[in-house]
Amino acid sequence: MSLTGTADVEPARHRPAPAPGGWLGWLTTTDHKRIGLLTLGTSLLVMLGMGVLALLMRGQLAQPEEHLVGPQVYNQLFTMHGSGMIYLVMTPFALGLGVYLVPLQVGAPVIAMPRATLLGYWLYVLGAAIMLSGFATPQGAHSDGWFSYPPMAARTYTPGVGSDLWIAGVFLATTGVILMAWAVLWTALRKRAEGMTMLRMPVFSWSMAATCLMVIGAFPALLAALALLAAGRVEPAVFDSNLWVIGYQHLFWFYGHPVVYVMFFPYLGAVAEVLAVFSGRRFFGYRGTVFALLVFAALSMSVWGHHMFTTGQATNDYYSLTSILLLVPAGVEYFAMLGTILGGRLVFRTPMLFALAFVPQFLIGGLTGIMVGTPVLDYHAQDSYFVVAHLHYVLFAGSAFGLFAGFYLWFPKATGVLLDERLGRWHFWLLVVGTNLTFFPMFFLGYAGMPRRVVTYLDGDGFGLLNLLSSCGAAVLAAGMTVFVVNLARAALRRAPRAGDDPWRGHTLEWATSSPPPRLNFDAAHPLPPLTSEAPLLDLRRRAADEARGAREGRGAREGRA
Amino acid sequence: MRQADVFGEVFAVELIMAGAVFLAVLAAVLYAVLRRRAGAAAGPSERAERPRLEAAYVAVLAAVAVFLVVYTALANHREHRTGHVGAPAGPPAAPEVVEVDVTAFQWCWTFRHPRPGGAGATSGTCRAEEVPTLVVPTGRPVRVELTSRDVIHSLWVPELRYKMDAFPHHTNSFTLTLDEEGRWLGRCAEFCGYRHYAMHFWLRAVSPGEYERWVAGHQAAAGGAA
Ligand code: HEM
Ligand SMILES: [Cu+2]
Repeated sequence: MSLTGTADVEPARHRPAPAPGGWLGWLTTTDHKRIGLLTLGTSLLVMLGMGVLALLMRGQLAQPEEHLVGPQVYNQLFTMHGSGMIYLVMTPFALGLGVYLVPLQVGAPVIAMPRATLLGYWLYVLGAAIMLSGFATPQGAHSDGWFSYPPMAARTYTPGVGSDLWIAGVFLATTGVILMAWAVLWTALRKRAEGMTMLRMPVFSWSMAATCLMVIGAFPALLAALALLAAGRVEPAVFDSNLWVIGYQHLFWFYGHPVVYVMFFPYLGAVAEVLAVFSGRRFFGYRGTVFALLVFAALSMSVWGHHMFTTGQATNDYYSLTSILLLVPAGVEYFAMLGTILGGRLVFRTPMLFALAFVPQFLIGGLTGIMVGTPVLDYHAQDSYFVVAHLHYVLFAGSAFGLFAGFYLWFPKATGVLLDERLGRWHFWLLVVGTNLTFFPMFFLGYAGMPRRVVTYLDGDGFGLLNLLSSCGAAVLAAGMTVFVVNLARAALRRAPRAGDDPWRGHTLEWATSSPPPRLNFDAAHPLPPLTSEAPLLDLRRRAADEARGAREGRGAREGRA
Repeated sequence: MRQADVFGEVFAVELIMAGAVFLAVLAAVLYAVLRRRAGAAAGPSERAERPRLEAAYVAVLAAVAVFLVVYTALANHREHRTGHVGAPAGPPAAPEVVEVDVTAFQWCWTFRHPRPGGAGATSGTCRAEEVPTLVVPTGRPVRVELTSRDVIHSLWVPELRYKMDAFPHHTNSFTLTLDEEGRWLGRCAEFCGYRHYAMHFWLRAVSPGEYERWVAGHQAAAGGAA
């Protein structure tokens, strides 16, 4: 340990053992960047798969009384699509972003607990494989929806082994995510570089810290709910008592609401970084935003009963109170985002387009969230397509747009090459049109009385036109995602332009190092800059500009005197 | 239809507020896109935060939140007060409550209209594709006692803007008062398996006199069949 020379920038205890090369090197890596990329890549692949399931559903629903798939298959489709998107895509992708970026952003050479992080990834992959393998069993995959209420999901009513696989898979994947959350949180708390105070952490890292707190605080409730469900599959009599039936709902939603913010905060953090960078200014209202994130995370643990307004067994006044109060921290975040762009000098590159669309689109999800958080409105909207529209505005029009904003922002950092701007624009515009065409009509469908999770509807219901519009929107989304895949394939196959260390004039530490960063993130050629605020590179540029101006003015003054 | 009235009023209020917020934010984004673009704008602002403005704004947000919480909670309590809305105070005018026992099961409904002395009428056979009908009188509060025989279902009449879940081993009750005669489609809103999508029923409101005749008729029919 003490043998390392004094010139070495990194203490020897940080030096990892030489890793095997090739694919084995990737699969056994303890480099947080590789684990992060594995997680991001895996969840992106699963996202495409779950998107195909959504297309099948939209195909089936395009016209009344269609027979593309029957109820048996449709019920598997919405279950695996919804639970896949939540447990295997948006949640792990969020943590994957944190695993990749938080050590870089706080100036740490490694992540805390790298082996636990790797284990977390493998549990996630194993869980995903087990959950999806249900499709290969005789009765098919699990089919009771992403929250799988008992007694419906107990063995009596859903005997297939696909359900058992689903429970095991979700359990493993969630355990993996919890491990990653500990590692990311610990990195933010204990591994920050000298001078990186808590209030100099970038907004994205703060959003991850808040996210990890929610994962650690709320996700064990999901494990408990799954254990209860598993017990009910071994012994269905467990659910002969209302206590465990309603108890399951409480356990589930104690996890189920915070997870919505786990699938939102990191993407909001990404959007905040993008807005600031492409506005050429510091993120506006940093401290207010950090405080709002923490308040938001704390409140998120108290709202779960708003998913149970129609059970007749929840304290509706209380859950409505806490739910509606969420508009205060949410409003503070909007204040900061709008302040940033209103005082900025905007450059419209692909990440910025996605971030700008996030702002109004997510707002539709948030505003309708207040509506369904109002008991007298929820009595109508609950379990209708209004909720399907609301949740997709939050998760797709909001979070997924934030995901792509972050993807286009950090792709050059992680790979060293730039994605094509023209294809990026096509991806963006197709997604904007497709998203709103797919999901906006669903508000009207729900209002008009279409329940969710129905394989078909009657001609006389009058739902045909809006469903057809929605399915057309899904086709546009498919086209947009194809463009995205083509863009990635181009970058992988051709020699796309090199990105350089800092293609966007970034603000945070990851832009101070090379693209991709070296094994220990910063090295002698790429040392940490002075950590002066949450945007150290911006400070550096401004100081340089000030000095240049000062020199110029000094010269001007001298010349004037002469 | 008190539920529909309360829903309509609160929905309108929230829709207007949401619309205003959405338009304001959209206007801000469009303004930034058009007037703060790199070509059009001067340099970016150096201002890192505006704590005074932000504090005032938080106060406004909090006031809006408190208004919404109180206003909607009062609406909820108004909706669930038993008895007839607008009926003159005092028991003499209050019409007698009708009770209906509703049982959901995979994938249909039974509606029992209990009578004093143990007798009662049952509607809906659920044979073949028959859609059962829940018959209720207009003008009288109808207390629905809702339960399930197997999994969780949810009784939803979209036109009434109201639903309530049906749990096994548990009974939920709520009160409906229908002012006009008519027939509305009801659906199951909680996913309940294979035929969830087809678990419909009709809600039919008839005059009190016709309702009495209907119950008497079905009582006889049920008795005759036994
Ligand atoms: C990040 C992306 C997405 C997420 C996180 C997501 C999430 C969900 C969730 C949680 C459900 C509910 C499943 C359940 O009821 O148990 C759902 C249902 C559904 N989603 Fe998505 N979704 C995403 C993207 C999409 C896209 C792109 C489409 C359309 C092309 C789509 C179409 C649908 C449809 C048709 C349903 C079924 C509605 C029903 O039968 O009730 N989703 N989704
Ligand atoms: Cu049902």
